[in-house]
Amino acid sequence: MARKDLLDIASLHREEIELLLDQSTSFKKLFTRSVNKVPALGGKSVLMLFYEASTRTHSSFEVAAKRLSADVTNFDIAHSSITKGESVRETVETLQAMRTDYIVVRHGRSGLPGLIARQTKASVINAGDGAHEHPTQALLDAFTIKEKFPDPRGKKVLIIGDILHSRVARSTSTLLQKLGVEVAYLGPGSLVPKYGPATIRRFTDYQAAMAWSPDVVYLLRVQMERQDVQFFPSLREYHRLYGITNDRLAEIQQRGLYIMHPGPVNRGVELCDAVMDYERSLITNQVENGIVIRMAVLDWLTPGGDAPRAEPTFGRSYERSC
Amino acid sequence: MLLLQNARIASENSPVLLEADVLIVEGKIQDIGNNLAIPEGARVIDARGRILMPAMFDAHVHFRAPGFEAKETITTGSEAAINGGITGVVMMPNTRPAIDSAMVVATVLDNAKHRSRIPIYTSGCVTKDRQGKELAEIDGMRELGVKMLTDDGDTTNDPAVLLRAMQYATEFGMFFASHCEVPELAGPRALNEGVMSYRLGIKGSPACAEEIIIDRDIRLAHAAGAHVHIQHVSSKLGMETIRWWKSRGDVKVTAEVAPHHLLFTEEHIGNYDTNYKMNPPLRTQADCDALLEGLIEGVLDLIATDHAPHTPYEKAQDFISAPNGITGLDTALVSLYHYFVEPAKFGWDVVVKRYSAEPRRLMGLPVAAIEVGQKAECLLFDTEAETTFTREFMKSKSHNTPFLDQTLKGRVDLVILGTEILLER
Repeated sequence: MARKDLLDIASLHREEIELLLDQSTSFKKLFTRSVNKVPALGGKSVLMLFYEASTRTHSSFEVAAKRLSADVTNFDIAHSSITKGESVRETVETLQAMRTDYIVVRHGRSGLPGLIARQTKASVINAGDGAHEHPTQALLDAFTIKEKFPDPRGKKVLIIGDILHSRVARSTSTLLQKLGVEVAYLGPGSLVPKYGPATIRRFTDYQAAMAWSPDVVYLLRVQMERQDVQFFPSLREYHRLYGITNDRLAEIQQRGLYIMHPGPVNRGVELCDAVMDYERSLITNQVENGIVIRMAVLDWLTPGGDAPRAEPTFGRSYERSC
Repeated sequence: MLLLQNARIASENSPVLLEADVLIVEGKIQDIGNNLAIPEGARVIDARGRILMPAMFDAHVHFRAPGFEAKETITTGSEAAINGGITGVVMMPNTRPAIDSAMVVATVLDNAKHRSRIPIYTSGCVTKDRQGKELAEIDGMRELGVKMLTDDGDTTNDPAVLLRAMQYATEFGMFFASHCEVPELAGPRALNEGVMSYRLGIKGSPACAEEIIIDRDIRLAHAAGAHVHIQHVSSKLGMETIRWWKSRGDVKVTAEVAPHHLLFTEEHIGNYDTNYKMNPPLRTQADCDALLEGLIEGVLDLIATDHAPHTPYEKAQDFISAPNGITGLDTALVSLYHYFVEPAKFGWDVVVKRYSAEPRRLMGLPVAAIEVGQKAECLLFDTEAETTFTREFMKSKSHNTPFLDQTLKGRVDLVILGTEILLER
């Protein structure tokens, strides 16, 4: 099935996920053989529309697009008419007139990439929208886990931290569950909502979560910038309760668990420095895999078609039972 | 002179429809009976099978004038009301300038007199410019007929300010309508805190944000001996809070519910559909069920649409940026029939009582009824016909409604106000 956009994980079918992961494997093999460019997207243009700061995702998309021989334009928010109050819609209409083929969007407003996708023939890739989704991060996480566990079914991933504000937690947990992985959340009660999916275990106590026997510990960045009120007393207390301290790292090492983190890391909050040197830390692998995943996504999408109309599992219903 | 033959007459007092002829002379109901003689010169309408009922009255509408005429005007808003079988409305004061002084009230009412075919009443602000700090000049507004005071759109956040306002204005026979939310809990987003807020990645507004203020404002009214009217109740516990206070019998409290809070849940938002973004937000099926129960029981005294028009451009924004609210005047009565009366969840008596009689009582107005000697203020409703809510059909200037292009059972065929036939299909 050809897709114009990649907006979320929720609407991706398992076959599509497998296809993307397989394609990423092929790209990864290619680049270990000193080939650093393929002509797949020659003559195509990719527009990077980042309304929020980004290091990994932005550079990774840019590298991926260039390796596929696409032309990349970085939309300079600071020097655009956005500073004059131009709306996202006006920006997109302007950019649409420039006939770009792909728009990679990051925005603080949940759902905004979907709104853009409905207004343009370009393929829109959600590079993170508010606390909603970050599909390519989820794909690279799954790819990284599959490199260690080729058949991840039945494996357990414990996601620790600020679930409430995390698009990574939402996307990655959804994708891992589609691959048969068991997922649990751990964090302060104020940051791990009780109304999350029923299929995901919820822990607020570190020891109880470790007793669940995870195979992978996935640390989320504490997003101070999204917290409009205080969700926990101090970073020090957070580290003491939920961070990977030296003592906890020793236990993790002993049990042979993998550690992941989407970056950027708050050292001394989510983890202690020693985690970065832990041989089963996959944090660098995640960054590396980000490029091949994004290549696979760009290569897979088909600009110019109709926007995907994923069948929602809920939504408008006019049945008489109300 | 008008003779409606074989109409099925609805009233607030009984679910049973009385089949009879109704003779209207010079804007008054002169006779009701079977096989009435046709007076010379009378126009005869065959109303067989159709429901004749008192016209509706909406105690919570936003006509956006002055200040936001791109969304709605008094003319388009009042025509939308007529289109939906409504012959009286109460405007909310969150305009620009806000309706917070005798001068603005006079301007609005004068405007309404010339631009509306139905009577329009306006509420006035509790505080200047709805800022929640200084009391508005209440008596000046009262002199021009304002009865309802509200900072609707926002809560009067400082309880001391509201208490003083209640103590002051109750002496003038005015009452307070409360938009209930703790702003620190609700934040700027109109989405229930729950399954959907998690799924969509938007911070939700918990039901307790509304329930706390419902309780607070009734307590303040209790302390001040005031009458408080709770607007657009959306949660089960909110309804139960009102029920408990009413059961005490020592405070004057009334409450309203909007059709959308009876009909839709947070899940209807689906993929960020801003036509389901309103404040208070849509909640859960359990809340809908409780509100329906509360309406039938009378805990919720009246239905009011909270008609909130917005331009297509505004609603086409992302969910967080898009403004709150949906239109309701064109659609309310038909949707109540389609979803509740036709499936026998409640009868026409509930519709008449809650959407015609009680709103007028709230405003201290005579109740419209199909009775001899009463002013003719009624509508004819065809239960066999359907209504498709196209842009062309709706008279509101804005079309931000989930019912856009939907077809529902029932149709308003005729609206009469005194000697005027306001609408005839």
